[in-house]
Amino acid sequence: MAEALSIPLEPIDAWSWRIPRSYKPGMRVDGIVYADRALLELAGEEQALEQVANVAFLPGIQKASLAMPDIHWGYGFCIGGVCATDPEQGGVVSPGGVGYDINCGVRLVRTDLTLADARPHLTRLVNALFAAIPTGVGMGGRFVHQGEALARLLREGVDVLRRRGLATADDVECTESHGCLPDAEPAYLSERALERGYDQCGTIGSGNHFLEVQVVDRVEDPAKAEVMRIAEGQICVLIHSGSRGLGYQVCDDHLKVLRGVPERLGIQLPDRQLACAPVHSDEGRRYLGAMRAAANFAFCNRQLLLAQTREVFAEVFGKPWGALGMEQVYDVAHNIAKFEHHDVDGRSKLLCVHRKGATRAFPPGHPEIPARYRGIGQPVIVPGDMGRASWLLCGHEDAMARTFGTTCHGAGRVLSRTAAVKSARGRRIDQELFARGVLARARSREGLAEEQPDAYKDVDHVVEVVHGAHLSRKVARLRPLAVIKG
Amino acid sequence: MSHEVFEHTADLGVRVRAPDRAALYAESGQALFEILVDDLGAVRPATALEVAVAGDDAAYLLHDWLGELLYLFTARNLLLCAFDVRLAHSGLTGTVRGEVLDRTRHRLAHEVKAITYHGLEVRQDPGGWSAEFVVDI
Repeated sequence: MAEALSIPLEPIDAWSWRIPRSYKPGMRVDGIVYADRALLELAGEEQALEQVANVAFLPGIQKASLAMPDIHWGYGFCIGGVCATDPEQGGVVSPGGVGYDINCGVRLVRTDLTLADARPHLTRLVNALFAAIPTGVGMGGRFVHQGEALARLLREGVDVLRRRGLATADDVECTESHGCLPDAEPAYLSERALERGYDQCGTIGSGNHFLEVQVVDRVEDPAKAEVMRIAEGQICVLIHSGSRGLGYQVCDDHLKVLRGVPERLGIQLPDRQLACAPVHSDEGRRYLGAMRAAANFAFCNRQLLLAQTREVFAEVFGKPWGALGMEQVYDVAHNIAKFEHHDVDGRSKLLCVHRKGATRAFPPGHPEIPARYRGIGQPVIVPGDMGRASWLLCGHEDAMARTFGTTCHGAGRVLSRTAAVKSARGRRIDQELFARGVLARARSREGLAEEQPDAYKDVDHVVEVVHGAHLSRKVARLRPLAVIKG
Repeated sequence: MSHEVFEHTADLGVRVRAPDRAALYAESGQALFEILVDDLGAVRPATALEVAVAGDDAAYLLHDWLGELLYLFTARNLLLCAFDVRLAHSGLTGTVRGEVLDRTRHRLAHEVKAITYHGLEVRQDPGGWSAEFVVDI
């Protein structure tokens, strides 16, 4: 194995591998990658493993620079990267460890509808969703926010929408951090960032973002599924989007501010994209305040996408959405930095946990989980690709010690965008999906080609690893029926 | 002058070559808008704008120049098709030409979230100048 890859890797157990700290001078801790051999070899074909080693340079990093099995080449951090720093030991926050799409995440909604109920209406449903819900590059929507209304959204998150009748108390409860990161500071957002937020709350965007109608294909753990009100043959909706242009601008603005900081503080970094500042510094505090505001905007974005989805379902199925049982199972962030208590060397510490393409997966009993899920662990939603499957998982006790309570966020790409487009030449991806029983509507044919199922690893394979490594537990597998994209 | 997209798993990488540094920045602008729009040939150089960017570091200057162009698209809906760059004492000034997005005539291809710093590079080669940058999709 070590010979096949340019990076030294030592097996720890069947599911994890160590990149020793000795690999590169400047690494403060080891790298640990959760993967089986096949997934590790895929990661080794690109720069992803090198990026795991690079993150180990960050001051104050605790335990190890971690990567989940959906690891692939990103910018700065790998996608699937996790890094926790201790602010009391000079720990830094790195905007690259969150990414441009701050609080990109996924939300799963269940319904009382069965496949038999939905099948006759699927074409009308997907067309109505595509007509009603803004998708695509730069598309704005009908919800506009500016001035104090936008500032309130950024400060208070989804609860603002609850007060306007666009979210229920259950929606708020079943969202990570109740849809609001405290200490958000709209004042730290530039005019440009605010301007870009104007009409983008409630829009999907482009790239890998989507809204899917799915059916529960297989329940793996009936007791846990019952707590989540999930059963085989049931229709669900999966929403994947983030903080849109507002979040991209926040990251870009603050990376610019941080340019000179590492050099000034004598922090050696192997990639400019890893620019960082101590959590306890003016630059660090300002980024964190702005990042939290953008995260709250993203929670609100997914909430308004849900509100529009509910309207479409009510119209297509001729019943109020409440009568269709359209309740949110959970909403998770997968690009975020949060302050959490974790045990390190037998001591509980308040750490700054960066998750870049990775999902929080807290175990049963954790106080931050909604009461209804406290007995089973936090629900985790893992989108796969639009042809195969997605998964519903829940948190596992062992993840707290291994990965700061973190699991994978998706299947992970295996083909570059250029390779995916090349492989789609002469093919009609929408027709191929139709033949597999999936109705796809997209603004861009090239976008569909880039996001085709073959561009991704098999999510079943990735989920086997997180289940086997006790980073989370399988609850149910869902397969796509219809998808709308940018 | 030339540019090409190179393989990057999650995003898009761009490699640019030009005889001098001013042309390198101009060509990079062209490359960015070819990622954003399906057929840049359909964009008319109807209006002209001046864009000034300050900075001494050649790579950061490339980042900030492309960032300004991306901002003109995301905030002003401007599609740009022609770029004329003049290097200044500290920074650059560009005259850019294009028109407002018209969804009946223009087909957008990618949402570029940002110009990243990953692998960002500007260097002088024996034959001229070259640059690499990765955009977040």
